[in-house]
Amino acid sequence: MYLIRKDDILTIAKALSSDYQIYGPAVEPLSGQTFFDPVTDLGEINLAAPIPAAPPKSVVFPQTERILSYRYAGGSAPVEIKPDYKEQPKALFGLRSCDLTGIQCLDRFFLGQEFVDEVYRYHRKKMFMVTNTCVKPFTYCFCVCTDSGPAAEEGYDLNLTDIGDYYLVESGSAKGKDLCEKLKLEKAAEKHRAEKNSRIDKSISQFEALSTESKAWVSRVMNRVTTGFAKEAVWEYVGDQCLECGACSFVCPSCSCFNIADSCTASGSCDRLRTWDSCSYEGYSRMAGGHNPRKPVEDRRNKRFFCKLSYSQSKKYLRPGCVGCGRCNWVCPGDIGLPNVAKYIRRETTSREQL
Amino acid sequence: MNNGTKIVTIPESATIEEIKDEIRDVKTFYMSLDNKKIDKSFKIKSGQFIMCTVFGAGEFAVSLPPSPENDRFHLTVRKVGSVTNALHELQAGDKVGIRGPFGNGFPFEEIKGKNIVYVAGGIGLIPLRSSIVHVLQHKKDFGRVIVLHGARTPDDLMYKENLKEWQAFPGFETYITVDVGTPGWTGEVGFVHTLFDKVNLPIENTVAFVCGPPVMFNTVIAELMKRGLRDDCIISTLERHMKCGVGKCQHCAIGRTLVCTDGPVYTYRQIKTLGEQI
Repeated sequence: MYLIRKDDILTIAKALSSDYQIYGPAVEPLSGQTFFDPVTDLGEINLAAPIPAAPPKSVVFPQTERILSYRYAGGSAPVEIKPDYKEQPKALFGLRSCDLTGIQCLDRFFLGQEFVDEVYRYHRKKMFMVTNTCVKPFTYCFCVCTDSGPAAEEGYDLNLTDIGDYYLVESGSAKGKDLCEKLKLEKAAEKHRAEKNSRIDKSISQFEALSTESKAWVSRVMNRVTTGFAKEAVWEYVGDQCLECGACSFVCPSCSCFNIADSCTASGSCDRLRTWDSCSYEGYSRMAGGHNPRKPVEDRRNKRFFCKLSYSQSKKYLRPGCVGCGRCNWVCPGDIGLPNVAKYIRRETTSREQL
Repeated sequence: MNNGTKIVTIPESATIEEIKDEIRDVKTFYMSLDNKKIDKSFKIKSGQFIMCTVFGAGEFAVSLPPSPENDRFHLTVRKVGSVTNALHELQAGDKVGIRGPFGNGFPFEEIKGKNIVYVAGGIGLIPLRSSIVHVLQHKKDFGRVIVLHGARTPDDLMYKENLKEWQAFPGFETYITVDVGTPGWTGEVGFVHTLFDKVNLPIENTVAFVCGPPVMFNTVIAELMKRGLRDDCIISTLERHMKCGVGKCQHCAIGRTLVCTDGPVYTYRQIKTLGEQI
C-alpha cells in the first residue's frame, strides 16, 4: 500500500511507458466522450473522465484482426501458411473495475477452457493493469448489482483510489510491487485504507439513486432465466423492440463471439480475419443453403440474455456475463439493455394479469 | 478415445488425390495430408468432423464419412455455399487445408451387442457412413444391423456402390426407398419411415441413428417413438454454422451446449432438452 500525490500520478504511467504501450482514458474534445485508446502524449490521460464509450476489450480482442495469412498458387505448389500472433507489451492505465472484470471474463473463456485461444493468449501475454476505483458512479452504472465494482478486488497489478490530495496505490502482483518500490513511493498507513473504504461506501450509496430499478434484481433474474421461469411474453416483447443493430454486443466488455473470413488480394495472398460478431444478426446461425435454426428475432434475443444471465455462469465465466457497465442500456435504440430486460422479467413475473 | 494428432489453429495442407462424382452437386474428395508424419498420426473417431479450408475462399465444417479403421480418408461435400462451390472447382492434385478432428463422435463401446438401425435421408447418409462401415468391420459385436436410406429420386441415392456392398454383406439388412420413382425404378417408393414395417423394426435392445433434413428427422423420430423406442436410444448428429470448431466463436451454440465441442452427436433425449430448433 503506497501513496502518490495526485499531481505526480502520471509518473507511474511514464515509468510504464518505457516497457509498454500505454492505453488510457482520454476525453475527445469534439464529442466530449471518453475513449480508452493508445496514448502517445501521457498528458491526455484523464483519470477523472467518465466511463469510456467503448470498453478496452479491443486491446485484447480487436474488432478485426488477421489471425493468419496464406499463399497458394494452385496445383502442386506448396501452401505457405503463417500464423499472425501479436505479442506487444501493453499497459492499461486507469481501467475501471467493470472493464477489468470484462477482461477477466474473456480470460476465463479464451484461456481457461479445454482449447486455449493462441491469438488471445499472445495479446494477453505481456500486460500491466492499473485500475482506478470509481469514487462516484456514472449515469448508467450498476456494477454493484453484478459483483464487479465500484473497486477492483483482484486481477490488477496496481489499483489507484482517489482519496483527496493523494491516490492510494495498492499492488496486486509482484511486478506492481516492484514498480512502486522502484518509484520509491511513500508508504500508506491504515488510515488511508480507511479513507479508501469510506470513499467506496459513499460511491455505493450514490448508486442507490441510479440503479434502484435493477439493484439486486440481476441475481434473482439469473435464477429465473436459468430455471426457465422467465415468461415467454418478455422474450416476445424484447424481440419486438430489437432493431438487430448489434450495438449491445460490440460495447459489451464480455461479449466475445466472432466471425472468420478469408480476404484475398489480386496477388494471391490471403488473410484470415476474425471480426466481432453479434448473435442478434440473422446470419449468425444461418447455414449454407439457407436453413436457419434461429430465424425469429425473439429466438436470437432470448439467447443473448440466456448467455449473459445463465450460460455465462454455468459454462463460460463462472460469474454473470454482465459486468454492470451499463453501456448496452446507453446505446440500445430499443430500450432493451440488460438492466431493462432484468426489469421487464421482474415486472412480467408479478404481472397483474394473474390476479 | 482418440489419441492422435489434433490440428487446432493452423490448417495443415492436404492434397486431393481423386475426385468422384456421387450425385448431382455432391462429390467425394479423396485426400491425404502433405505432412506424412501428421498424416500417420491423424486419427479420427466415427462421428467427428473437421474444418476444411479452400484456399482463397474460406473454411467450412464438414462431417467425416470414412471409417476410423482401414478406410481411405475422404470428404463428401454438396456444393451449397460459396466455399463448397469453390471446393467443387478444384481438381485432383490441388490442395486444401484441414483442421481437426473435432467433436465427440458416435458412441461405439456403449452400443456393442445391440441391434443397430440407421435411418438416413438424402445426404444424411454421409455422416452415418463412418459408423456404418465401422460396424460392418465389427459385425460380430452387434445384433441385427439395418440400413434404411431414403432419397428424393433414384438419382439422389448416396454412395450407390456402398449400398450394393452393404446389401450383399451377410448380416446387413439394407433397404432403399425414394420419394418419387423414375421410369425404370423397380424399388420402393415412399418416405423412409414407411420401411419400418417392412423390415420388422426391432425395438428391444436397439439403437437408432437418424440423420437427414429437419422435416424427415422429425417424422422419423415421431414414428420411432410411437413404436416404443426410448429417446436416449435415438442418436443423431447435428449441423450448425461453425467458424472455429473449438468452442470459441459460439456460432454453433444450441441451448446450453456447443455443437462443436459438446456435439455434434446427441441423443434425442439431449436434443429435447436443448430447447431449440434442429
